[in-house]
Amino acid sequence: MNATLEYLSYSLETLETGFYKLPGSQVLARYVKSSHQNDPGRTVLEVILLIFVIRTLLQSRTRADNSGKHFIQFSEKEIDELVDEWTPEPLEQPLTERESLDLASLPIISGATGPKPKLVGSGKTVMNFASFNFTGLSGNEHIHQKATAALRKYGLGSCGPTGFYGTIDVHTDLERNIADFLGTEDSILYSQAFSTVSSVIPAFSKRGDIIVADRSVNFAIQKGLQISRSTIRWFDHNDMKSLEEVLEGINKEIRKRRSPLTRRFIITEGIFERDGSMADLPKLIELKYKYKYRLILDETFSFGTVGRTGRGLTELYNVPASEIDMLIGSVATSLCSAGGFCAGSSAVVKHQRINGTAFVFSASMPAILSIAASEGIAILRDSPSILSTLQENVRTFRSILDKLDCITIPSHHASPLIHIQVRSASASSLLPTAVPPSASKPSNPTSALPRNLQVFDIEAEERLLQEVVDDVLAQGILITRAKRLRGQEISEVRPSIRLAISSAFTKKECEKTATVIKTSLAKVLSKRR
Amino acid sequence: MPSPIAINPVSPSQSIFKKTSKSPSNLPASAASYLSAVSQADAHARARSLANVVTPTSTPALSMSSSVTVLSEDSILREGEVKMYDNDDGLSYPRVPPTSEQSFTTAHSEFGHCANEEYRFTSQHPVGKPAPHQEEQDPPYYILLSTYISFMILICLGHLRDFIGKRLKPSAYTHLQPHDGWAPLNSDFDSFYIRRLKVRLDDCFSFPVTGVPGRTIICYDRDTHDYNVTLHTTGRRTRGLNISSYNYLGFAQARGGCADAVVESISRYGLSSCGARLEAGSLDLHQTAERLVAQFVGQEDSVISSMGFATNSTIIPALVGKGCLVISDEFNHASIRFGVRLSGASVRTFKHNNVKSLEDLLREVISQGQPKTHRPWKKILVIVEGLYSMEGSMVNLPKVLELKEKYKFYLFVDEAHSIGALGPHGRGVTDYFGVNPLSVDVLMGTFTKSFGAAGGYVAGKKSLIDLIRVKGHSGPYAEAMPPPVLTQVIASMASIMGVASEPLKTANDVTSTALASYPGPAPVHMLPSWLDLPPLLKDGSEGQVRLRRLAFNSRYLSRGLKKLGFITYGSDDSPIVPLMLFNPGKMCVFSRMMRQRATPIFIVVVAYPATPLVTSRVRFCLSAAHTKDDIDLILTACDEIGDWLDLKQGSGERWPLQQIMDRAVELVHMDMD
Ligand SMILES: Cc1ncc(COP(=O)(O)O)c(C=O)c1O
Repeated sequence: MNATLEYLSYSLETLETGFYKLPGSQVLARYVKSSHQNDPGRTVLEVILLIFVIRTLLQSRTRADNSGKHFIQFSEKEIDELVDEWTPEPLEQPLTERESLDLASLPIISGATGPKPKLVGSGKTVMNFASFNFTGLSGNEHIHQKATAALRKYGLGSCGPTGFYGTIDVHTDLERNIADFLGTEDSILYSQAFSTVSSVIPAFSKRGDIIVADRSVNFAIQKGLQISRSTIRWFDHNDMKSLEEVLEGINKEIRKRRSPLTRRFIITEGIFERDGSMADLPKLIELKYKYKYRLILDETFSFGTVGRTGRGLTELYNVPASEIDMLIGSVATSLCSAGGFCAGSSAVVKHQRINGTAFVFSASMPAILSIAASEGIAILRDSPSILSTLQENVRTFRSILDKLDCITIPSHHASPLIHIQVRSASASSLLPTAVPPSASKPSNPTSALPRNLQVFDIEAEERLLQEVVDDVLAQGILITRAKRLRGQEISEVRPSIRLAISSAFTKKECEKTATVIKTSLAKVLSKRR
Repeated sequence: MPSPIAINPVSPSQSIFKKTSKSPSNLPASAASYLSAVSQADAHARARSLANVVTPTSTPALSMSSSVTVLSEDSILREGEVKMYDNDDGLSYPRVPPTSEQSFTTAHSEFGHCANEEYRFTSQHPVGKPAPHQEEQDPPYYILLSTYISFMILICLGHLRDFIGKRLKPSAYTHLQPHDGWAPLNSDFDSFYIRRLKVRLDDCFSFPVTGVPGRTIICYDRDTHDYNVTLHTTGRRTRGLNISSYNYLGFAQARGGCADAVVESISRYGLSSCGARLEAGSLDLHQTAERLVAQFVGQEDSVISSMGFATNSTIIPALVGKGCLVISDEFNHASIRFGVRLSGASVRTFKHNNVKSLEDLLREVISQGQPKTHRPWKKILVIVEGLYSMEGSMVNLPKVLELKEKYKFYLFVDEAHSIGALGPHGRGVTDYFGVNPLSVDVLMGTFTKSFGAAGGYVAGKKSLIDLIRVKGHSGPYAEAMPPPVLTQVIASMASIMGVASEPLKTANDVTSTALASYPGPAPVHMLPSWLDLPPLLKDGSEGQVRLRRLAFNSRYLSRGLKKLGFITYGSDDSPIVPLMLFNPGKMCVFSRMMRQRATPIFIVVVAYPATPLVTSRVRFCLSAAHTKDDIDLILTACDEIGDWLDLKQGSGERWPLQQIMDRAVELVHMDMD
């Protein structure tokens, strides 16, 4: 004890003498002494200041990684040799033959798109069941007039992000209109629908926060999850029981580890982009309150397509939109304009105005497109007939296609996004809806892959479906396969044909088209067996 | 006069620059009626200035204000504003009316009238000279010290207020703290900077605006009763000189050839393509635009995406992945960082624009290989920007290309700000340095800036672009670019290039002709057949004027500020001119003082976290739409405010303001190093 004390005082002394040996140290010591006597507060401030300066100086230095234990020391000559030896892979892998063929055979529309566009090449007019024109607003004359008038007032580009003179009054109006339409406090506009959700998620959820997500969320959400670096748990696709189990499991884990309280989110979609199925919103809300999670709901395909006037899932289930913490939707899809939005409380929106990466660091959308979207909302509000026609058309399609037994349609019966998958001859019992969730052990929540992984031959099925698409096109109807980034999604999606039904068609046209598709499917798929 | 330091000084209520808003009335139906209105207004102005010859006491500038007759065609140009007929601010009309030989086809408020051929310059790196190493000037120590102290005070005060606030008014903090089993969305710690520092400047950001973001812009006035926590609009609007929008070539216009083309395209194509590129959202217009972009930047092919941010964030993952290394400039844009993070590649950064730091890093990473395993990297992608939007600095492209030869990395240049704005032909940073665009592997850029549109592109070899079409995230999932935006891109690009009247002979082999004629005009077969540009746009003469005016304006402002004694960053040729303020307190004062001048000037101030902590700055973005008078106005304003705020800390020769304005042409052409 004594020895250590002695040692301490000795080392202090040497330090002191060493210090006074430094040139200028006397001056410094005197300065500190006198200033401390005059004003002790000032010393404190100066010390803090010094620490602050040192910290910022250290921060600004770029981190060099050559102290790590894996660092190998090379001489300059060796480095030169290594540089000479190194041959990088080519920047681009060439496309496979199929991919190039696919790309080359992509249908290109000549002139305006809409229910009956003309194709480049053949010059044929086709019935368009591929484009997202659910509400039939594409080509609306009234909207065109408004947009043209707006162009003469605002020009086209906004020439700046919102922070720097890019907040045009029409953007604020559209944000107001969306919030009023949905019944939330406020909303925020992003300039591309795809970039909306992948920016909203990381704005709120950071490292250490917990996200519980559906296993079938779309690609944009997957990217948002990736950027957020949060802890992610998965529940089986659209399975509320699985969700509850996962939430319960997390609670247990938290209690066991006594981890501090972090933000927790449930992320799912209204109508799923991957298969057209629909979330059980009331149950989600119930669970969210029970376990104290915030709900991020991606309504990209349900906003403007379900509910009496197209307000989406909340209207369909008669749930106030304010119950959903972050409601994300697309302005591009149902309003036939561009961009996306996130609606919620004003705190949620305000937070994104500073922290939403794609909002802050990107130019705001062209004014004329905001005007078009605002007009679109007004039209939806005033004409419920649009949505009833759309739903009628969906019903027509489903009544014809559902009869076919060589296909499966995982989509919800009200979804205007209809995915048609090939039904495997033997493995029909493996389809997600057919699996009783309690029959087997639950899936592992840390893995994005479900326990009962569907097996399917992507290439073969895609080829069959493409054959159907081509065959139907030859009969004057434009449909498309759902295009996927194979190998980049968290789990592979079963290939499908994705129909987008529009209210712009008559019942007759829908019947005719559905029959053509049905016949073609039956023809092509029967060949297979 | 209230102190400008007050949080929200009341603007002089009798101000003549406040206009009460009114719904826009009688907009001209077509460009033709608009043009006739312009020429009539010019004729009136000439008549009035002739009258002034008789009364020599009045100056031309005052002549307009002495007019009391309200002309109907004038009100067309006024876009529904009610205003007494003064022109003291020179915003809506030129101070000096045009002579009878001059004819202008643009609205002065959108694109300024400037006929003096002397006020032109060519944006080009002098051949044979090495790229200058841009040394950034440091301010005197007392400025740095006071800056640190300001932040200290702000931080201490902020914590103190939090400390007291939590005890006296806990209800105001509940949303920042865990309550009832819910974690706060935004903890008090995370939001400290925003609540306690940024809020004090909030009246300088996110102005609500209306109208065209051209040479002038109309802002809604705002007011606050709770120290900027909430800002509300007062209902009044102010037109001011816009030196903030990324409108480099002045294509933000509601009139003129490009706007007419967009109107035409709305009736032909509608407003949306209703889908993703790979899922039936491709129009013929997309293909046209992509071919034209490739031709413009001098690459084989290009792909267009509907958002500039998403161009980076969705395409970088298609280029690199696990086992690859991205070397990124430390000041690269958020979208690049977003994309790199999604790609799963490793990232290292090098010091901003420091070729030495880049080379050292390259030597290290190539010799060390991947961490732990020491396996060689699959590929290395160096990502730089052509022109940095916060620094105004240009990448040292020739040097980086030398390194590319030696170290075999791939080069990705983000030309968001440089495309259109740099180079004698407006083809970006490669054009500026006179290097072959094909020597860069990936040229990325956005249409938001120089082209007055939206979205972005990537250009490169055909095989690379096809890969991006198929493997980039935008292809299957993101909405395609809307047709009006495509039209704006095509029309503005074609008018920069000019249109070759003769269709080229080998029209079937698009790529080879495209490359042969770089940086030449756009072959007419590459444009939509319905596109009918006015003659001045078609022959590229207006495009040339725009490029040369921008180059002059950029140099004039940046050199003028230097001669006044300010510290500015970046290259002289950059249309982005950052003027250093350092002190956080000076930001809001500078912004407010600029706003409240007789001719309001709207500027952008940027601070931490967009810049390093101590280097708060004002960022001027010049445009071809500005006239020399406008720049004089800005210099005068800066001169006055600079004295007030003790900003003139730069070293080097100084000129008095009048001398700078008088010898502007000489200043721009001078050899300055
Ligand atoms: C370097 C860079 N890349 C990309 C972008 C994003 O472009 P946009 O605003 O069109 O989304 C910007 C915009 O500020 C930028 O500066």
